[in-house]
Amino acid sequence: MEKKAINSRWIKSGFWIWLIPIPLILASLLVGPSDVMPVSQFISSCWSALTSSNFQSDPDFSLMLTIVTDVRLSRILLTFLVGGTLAVSGSSLQAVFRNPLVDPFILGIASGAAFGAALALAFSWIPVPVSAFGFGFLAVWMSIHFAGKEAEHSSVNLVLSGMMVSGIFTALLTVIQFVSDPFRLQTIIHWTMGNLHQATWTKVNLLLIPVVAGLSGLFLFRWRLNVLALGNEEAKAVGVNPEREKLMILILATLATAACVAAAGIIAMFGLFVPHLVRMLVGPDNRKSLPANFALGGSFLLIIDTASRSLFQFEIPIGVFTMFLGAPVFLWLMKKKSSGWM
Amino acid sequence: MTQSAVSLQNCSFSYGNQPVWTDLSVDIPENQFSVILGRNGSGKSTLLRVMAGLLKPSSGTALVHGKNPDDLSGSERAGHIGFLPQFHRAVFPFSVRDVILTGRAGRSGFLPTEKDHEISEAALHQTGIFHLADKPYTQLSGGEQQLVMATRILAQQPAVIFLDEPTSHLDLYYQSALLSTLKSLSKDQFTMIAVLHDPNLAFRFGDEFFFLRKGKLVKPESGQESWDADFLSGIFDTPLETIPFEGKAFVVHR
Repeated sequence: MEKKAINSRWIKSGFWIWLIPIPLILASLLVGPSDVMPVSQFISSCWSALTSSNFQSDPDFSLMLTIVTDVRLSRILLTFLVGGTLAVSGSSLQAVFRNPLVDPFILGIASGAAFGAALALAFSWIPVPVSAFGFGFLAVWMSIHFAGKEAEHSSVNLVLSGMMVSGIFTALLTVIQFVSDPFRLQTIIHWTMGNLHQATWTKVNLLLIPVVAGLSGLFLFRWRLNVLALGNEEAKAVGVNPEREKLMILILATLATAACVAAAGIIAMFGLFVPHLVRMLVGPDNRKSLPANFALGGSFLLIIDTASRSLFQFEIPIGVFTMFLGAPVFLWLMKKKSSGWM
Repeated sequence: MTQSAVSLQNCSFSYGNQPVWTDLSVDIPENQFSVILGRNGSGKSTLLRVMAGLLKPSSGTALVHGKNPDDLSGSERAGHIGFLPQFHRAVFPFSVRDVILTGRAGRSGFLPTEKDHEISEAALHQTGIFHLADKPYTQLSGGEQQLVMATRILAQQPAVIFLDEPTSHLDLYYQSALLSTLKSLSKDQFTMIAVLHDPNLAFRFGDEFFFLRKGKLVKPESGQESWDADFLSGIFDTPLETIPFEGKAFVVHR
């Protein structure tokens, strides 16, 4: 009995979640589709590096170093950052809108950012991340605007208007694909499917500043999210200006998400279901669940991506996987509506 | 002579072009338990919201401690005004302790301080719901939820507390527990302003009474007490009888 209480407190504390990423990242470094370097050879070259004195001249070792640092590590970091960011943004948005059915994808941020990024790729008018952020924010603003004042009372309004806005930007994206030249078209199509396999250090570096800025901002607001999640009037009642804080959180979440979309394309529904998983594990207090979302979101996307690049001969775009996982969760939550969850 | 906590001067309020009340002036005394009574739709809740600065009057001024709530900063406002809404729809299963801690949000920064935690714990004891502290808010009964939200406002420690029907879902035990806590607080440094439906609870616990009828503030005639049967029958549009009790009276249907 006593032991059980300690166990459950340990689970609720959420510290264990931080123990997941490290071995996972190390393990993912060993796995890859590369026939050039199977796991056994990888380990043996590590071993020889440790035992022999002139390992730097060993061709096997330098090949391994190239694969690990240039190919795999960049991809692992990109995947982890994207997964963590989508989960944290999704969790923040669910709290702000008091709506368990939203995430950056459903609110149109992802489609808006994708359109913005494609526009920048096709016409090179402004830098890709800037354009992605601009249109991502425009999209979420449109979703809120069309959902109207009723959105605080009905979760469905916001979901519907988000879907429509998402549809508009997806259609616009198709238009861009039609009018852009074949060479650029290929780049755009590859990336909209939600691909992580084109990861480079350049992409990671590009992602780093907006993601770190967005996530540390959201992390600061982790307790304020609890206040906002109780509702507008309840926040005003205790002297908080909910509109101003919501706007700031929305900007931070959009900033981080848009950067992820610009780097990795649309990864559907991931930001919807990870926050629910985390809430089940550590509870709804955002002070605990926000950091847990980063660790678990990053780890989870890394598992999905590692599986997708090692299980099959060809790579399935990761957005397809996350849609298969997220859609049932969404439908299940919709069913649960009657049980008082919303 | 007590100073006024809330002062409305020639206030009017309308939803669209539907006036709720016009040209209303009232002073609510400090450190008292004041109760607003009236029929459904008489504009009681609207009046409370205008007083608390949650709604802007269409014309006229509404001041709390002589200041316009809009001119106050977030933390100043949290120190002056606390408001308990009538309905609350919960979405996330926060623990009761976490819900009450959010009462401190207007008065602290990004994270609650050690002092905020202490004050929240004290508030939990004050309303006698410490046994609920670790329960998810969403699993509580309507009355328990109402108590939690009331406790949250107590944790905020504002000088003036506005309550919109704080007892509508409470059983007899908690009705008396909450209202006597509020009354004893009003004897210290707080001002309570509540909308109540039940005149009996109002007369039992309240100090000052304000009556709204058809968009007008109605006072008893001189020599007439607030618990006068004829006066109350007029306010509630139904024949009422009163039975004298401890200096005031009980109200029953005739």
